[in-house]
Amino acid sequence: LRTQRVEVSIELRKAKKDEQILKRRNISLHVREENLSLGQDKPEEIIHLSLEKIVEAVNGNNPKLQLLATQATRRMLSRQKDPPINQIIELGIIPRMVEFLSYADNAALQFEAAWALTNIASGTSEHTRAVVEGGAIPVFISLLSSPHMHISEQAVWALGNVAGDGPLYRDALINSHVIPPLLALVSPVTPVGFLRNITWTLSNLCRNKNPYPPLDAVHEILPVLICLMQHEDKDIITDSCWAVSYLTDGSNDRIQIVVDTGVLPRLVELMACTDVVVMTPALRAIGNVVTGTDQQTQAAIDAGVLAVLPRLLRHTKPTIQKEAAWTLSNIAAGPCQQIQQLITCGLLPPLVELLHKGDFKAQKEAVWVVANFTTGGTVDQMVELIRSGVLKPLLNLLSARDSKTILIILDTISNLFMAAEKLGETEKLCLLVEELDGLEKIEDLQNHENSMVYRAALNIIEKYFSGEENLDLEPQTGQDGLYDFSVKKQDFNF
Amino acid sequence: MELSDANLQTLTEYLKKTLDPDPAIRRPAEKFLESVEGSQNYPLLLLTLLEKSQENVIKVCASVTFKNYIKRNWRIVEDEPNKICESDRIAIKANIVPLMLSSPEQIQKQLSDAISIIGREDFPQKWPDLLTEMVNRFQSGDFHVINGVLRTAHSLFKRYRHEFKSNELWTEIKLVLDAFALPLTNLFKATIELCSTHANDASALKVLFSSLILIAKLFYSLNFQDLPEFFEDNMETWMTNFHSLLTLDNKLLQTDDEEEAGLLELLKSQICDNAALYAQKYDEEFQPYLPRFVTAIWNLLVTTGQEVKYDLLVSNAIQFLASVCERPHYKHLFEDQNTLTSICEKVIVPNMEFRAADEEAFEDNSEEYIRRDLEGSDIDTRRRAACDLVRGLCKFFEGPVTGIFSGYVNSMLQEYAKNPSVNWKHKDAAIYLVTSLASKAQTQKHGITQANELVNLTEFFVNHIQPDLKSATVNEFPVLKADGIKYIMIFRNQVPKEQLLVAIPLLINHLQAESIVVHTYAAHALERLFTMRGTNNTTLITAAEMAPFVEVLLTNLFKALTLPGSSENEYIMKAIMRSFSLLQESIIPYIPSVITQLTQKLLAVSKNPSKPHFNHYMFESICLSIRITCKANPEAVGSFEEALFLVFTEILQNDVQEFIPYVFQVMSLLLEMHKNEIPSSYMALFPHLLQPVLWERTGNIPPLVRLLQAFLERGASTIASAAADKIPGLLGVFQKLIASKANDHQGFYLLNSIIEHMPPESVDQYRKQIFILLFQRLQNSKTTKFIKSFLVFINLYCIRYGALALQEIFDSIQPKMFGMVLEKIIIPEIQKVSGQVEKKICAVGITKILTECPPMMDTEYTKLWIPLLQALIGLFELPEDDTIPDEEHFIDIEDTPGYQTAFSQLAFAGKKEHDPVGQMVNNPRIHLAQSLHKLSTACPGRVLSMLSTSLNAEALQYLQGYLQAASVSLL
Repeated sequence: LRTQRVEVSIELRKAKKDEQILKRRNISLHVREENLSLGQDKPEEIIHLSLEKIVEAVNGNNPKLQLLATQATRRMLSRQKDPPINQIIELGIIPRMVEFLSYADNAALQFEAAWALTNIASGTSEHTRAVVEGGAIPVFISLLSSPHMHISEQAVWALGNVAGDGPLYRDALINSHVIPPLLALVSPVTPVGFLRNITWTLSNLCRNKNPYPPLDAVHEILPVLICLMQHEDKDIITDSCWAVSYLTDGSNDRIQIVVDTGVLPRLVELMACTDVVVMTPALRAIGNVVTGTDQQTQAAIDAGVLAVLPRLLRHTKPTIQKEAAWTLSNIAAGPCQQIQQLITCGLLPPLVELLHKGDFKAQKEAVWVVANFTTGGTVDQMVELIRSGVLKPLLNLLSARDSKTILIILDTISNLFMAAEKLGETEKLCLLVEELDGLEKIEDLQNHENSMVYRAALNIIEKYFSGEENLDLEPQTGQDGLYDFSVKKQDFNF
Repeated sequence: MELSDANLQTLTEYLKKTLDPDPAIRRPAEKFLESVEGSQNYPLLLLTLLEKSQENVIKVCASVTFKNYIKRNWRIVEDEPNKICESDRIAIKANIVPLMLSSPEQIQKQLSDAISIIGREDFPQKWPDLLTEMVNRFQSGDFHVINGVLRTAHSLFKRYRHEFKSNELWTEIKLVLDAFALPLTNLFKATIELCSTHANDASALKVLFSSLILIAKLFYSLNFQDLPEFFEDNMETWMTNFHSLLTLDNKLLQTDDEEEAGLLELLKSQICDNAALYAQKYDEEFQPYLPRFVTAIWNLLVTTGQEVKYDLLVSNAIQFLASVCERPHYKHLFEDQNTLTSICEKVIVPNMEFRAADEEAFEDNSEEYIRRDLEGSDIDTRRRAACDLVRGLCKFFEGPVTGIFSGYVNSMLQEYAKNPSVNWKHKDAAIYLVTSLASKAQTQKHGITQANELVNLTEFFVNHIQPDLKSATVNEFPVLKADGIKYIMIFRNQVPKEQLLVAIPLLINHLQAESIVVHTYAAHALERLFTMRGTNNTTLITAAEMAPFVEVLLTNLFKALTLPGSSENEYIMKAIMRSFSLLQESIIPYIPSVITQLTQKLLAVSKNPSKPHFNHYMFESICLSIRITCKANPEAVGSFEEALFLVFTEILQNDVQEFIPYVFQVMSLLLEMHKNEIPSSYMALFPHLLQPVLWERTGNIPPLVRLLQAFLERGASTIASAAADKIPGLLGVFQKLIASKANDHQGFYLLNSIIEHMPPESVDQYRKQIFILLFQRLQNSKTTKFIKSFLVFINLYCIRYGALALQEIFDSIQPKMFGMVLEKIIIPEIQKVSGQVEKKICAVGITKILTECPPMMDTEYTKLWIPLLQALIGLFELPEDDTIPDEEHFIDIEDTPGYQTAFSQLAFAGKKEHDPVGQMVNNPRIHLAQSLHKLSTACPGRVLSMLSTSLNAEALQYLQGYLQAASVSLL
């Protein structure tokens, strides 16, 4: 059976480093400062105001002071280290800043306010909530259509942060019709930098589960994403791949929507990209697709995934190895025709290598590949598997420090024995297992603390390395002291 | 029960009585305690006693009783009453930790166990303060208390090492980490600091090191499932300290004991485990630290002595290196020639040395020595670890390592040559080194199966092994003799045959050695050589090649059984068996003497059978003697009966359970040797064989069935005439067997023999009942095994009594029964039948149903005719199971299916496969074609029209093939 990406609600490890960023603060400046200077007489006028002064100016009616105060706020929020988001929120000026967003006649103020709010929304959930509860969503959405590109770009960014907070705000944005004006910004003449922001925001609109984004929204966004994926800019490609990876991380009908766009060949092409940043989300997306139905998996195979996987299984980065092996494990969970393609495309040698010397995380997934293979494969395919030398590294992993992995290996060994029985080659397999020091390991596992593990080991030993049976029913003894031969008739129906 | 002094007093009395050696006093007291344990306050009374009783025995007894009480009662099982009342539960949880911590060690251990049992059920949800309570104690500064907490924590957390990942488990671990990881880390640091402050205080150090061991164990448990964020962030602290602890030494912690590992060894050993855990699972994060650990562990190995107390540490440490050196990205840590040389010289070679302890075992505890050395139960030994390291290093550095060791081997051999009697251990190490270097894969059955091509095994054999074995004195340097013999044994597939032939007389000679290990190895080596395969599945060593040695071989083997310590030596007995099997008729001249010796042995060991393998091979040898002799001279069976029956009678009368299954098998073999009517001596035994008490022992069933089959084959008519009243009892046995899923196939063996051999009229009245019984099993608990046997049986019945008789008896049990069985059982399941003879019986039976059963042609059963034919063609065309079972000569006790201590099937008592349709039908496909032809002649047009309308094309094509082969056509 194919396994969905496991939803770990509990994580002991550090948060993963190669995930896409959920929220971003705008701290890169120079380009923007220049843009800003177009609407301003003096470009770099740094003024420091006390917090009290800021509150006073923002709440006052002097447009010049309003601008200065808002700008000062934005500067504080844009500094590299420890932006005082909490303090700014506590000032209670967010509603006022939201109001500034609608001052269409004061572009400079609109922009500064948008920027400041963007950076507030980039913080924790609580921070984002402060912005949303300040009423920012509808105003930002209308700013998407602002005649000033730098303002609409800032709005895109702010909305991206809001969407990134989670499914609740994401759907609030979608329900406020964020998508049409956002998509309208995508055109052949849109500058690359702007396009990056749009792509990132779109990806956040595709992200998160419980619930998934509404299907209508997905249908709306997807064609644009597919176009963006053809772009030559690396960041745009990467973020659109992330978006697709989110859309495929779900039920089969959601996967189908993506498959129907015909994007799989492009994803596979990107999976083969040497740049890890691009490869990671593309692999993720394809990995998700093959958790789907046999047909969906076949679509990924037809797109050439099997030709790319060997290289990824041999990748130096453990997380890539692991993800590739996970993908392969789901292909191996398919019908025997797909397993055959896996063999034909030469996946067994890199699989064996990975089992042998991969990182432990990847080895665990590789064990699943073998386990699934032996569950669905034909006898001939199992023979092929054994020939590829899988047994040695597999048996070595019986000394892994992970009960689940050990159990899966034991199940796999049972599967292999069942195949061997069909071929009448049980004894050969017994010898092979013993030769590779597997017997000793399995015997040892009969003392394992985990009862399922020791039972599985015991079972193999009893069945293939010794052999015993159990009894069941009983008759009676007659008067002569011998067994009584007597039967009561009943109605039979087989 | 109230918490009163009176009750405490009563309880004390009863607890005391439970310690009484007299069961008349002890049992009632135990009963009483069980009867009151359901009362409220009972556990609290126990806790009070274990704390406050004046007598230490009562304290201990109360603590043990308390722990057992918790073990039996704490768990709340769904749908069962809660056995401990809630207020007691609360009181126990509130008091047990401080009580445990303030108790002396003996009681502390019991309470700590109890806490972990409670914890397994209640922690963390129902015992939320436990963690805080424990962590708070870390501040106490009292290391007796701290160790108590650590021990409890260890017993609570160690399950993280083997349980499957689950949300529930990980939630618990996370909770534990949040509360425990930081305090544990601080405690770790503080303890290490205290160790340096108290570096000169032996008793303080002991306590502190006990803490460190427990902390290291907790580290292992907490890091087992995944690398926790906390420990990743604090890896520097932990690993740096672990590393320095590995290199630490303190005279005060060294123990004088040579056997028992001291605290320092235990700690370092656990640190090796921790490092190995990280290296295996968290390689990416651990990489920066790994080289340091490799160096430290290797230095540790270089400086650790040969004493037994270091064994676990050394083997753990070596295993760590062995697992790391196989990893491609750490190859560089080892590849320098100097490093390799130094590992070989300082780590591997010293740990391969034959130590005083080994020498002691060789002489005084040979059985254990043999088990370890020969059967590989040496997992934790130093030699084994060193051997694994050699194998690991050879993965990348086979050439250099072989080169380095060759130099070593040569110099050790030279040392030996200078003064053999002093330096013989050098040669032992040299042989061991060559062996571990050369062997890449090994099985019990074939010895070494893959060898290092860089080692010239034959040359070493000729130059260094043979000379030792050729020496005139078999008792000189016994260890080296054993080494040499073992060398031949494990490299038997690598050394050329002519060298093996040279070795054989040398091995025979060493059967006389006084050393148990040496003559045992000699016997074992001979046995293994005799089991080697040559071309055409024959033995490599032929009887002709052995001809010159027959007498001396048999003499020495039987003489070896008289050597002290080897009177029941299974290796020797197995060698006897294998020699008989190999030599066949050339042993006949020696049989009179051999059988006398074997029966004497049998008589002696039947007093107290203790060596199952020895006994098994002894009976095999007896069977071989009978078979080989009677094959040449069938009349000889009488003399065997004469020699054996006396002993057999004694075994049966004394009910020597281990031997009875063997006796039945030998009797079956003897009975089958008789060509004429069954002798009356056997008939007298027949009623006794039906006694239920015999059939209640599972081990008796297969040989008894076999024996009854022999009775039926040779004496069915005698039974029908002289013992007709026993037929119900015989069928009762069948019923007994058929009722059991495990034994039903045995029931069918018996039934098949009854149907095949008994005169039909003698079983007429029981036939219907037999089928009803089978249908009952089929209806209520059918298994594939049962169905397979059932199908074979009904087809055999059909062959013996005719298809019409089969249909009639089925339909007389219940209308349309025959059709139901055809449709639901025969047609869908027939493909499952396996075995050549079984398939043939089914084919012939079904052919009869198709062609000799009128109701199949003219009743509603007609619709089943085509499906049945199709099923039969399917049976024919299934891929044939063409595996040839091993010839019995090669069979090993471990290979015998169904081997268990209760029943051991004797390979050499084995009966030939019996084919009841052998003469009647040669080729069942042709038989089908001919039968169809006959049928179509009887009713022209019918068969053809049925075939053409409904048989599928593929089946039709096969059928046409059969018709062609039989040169017949259908009308």
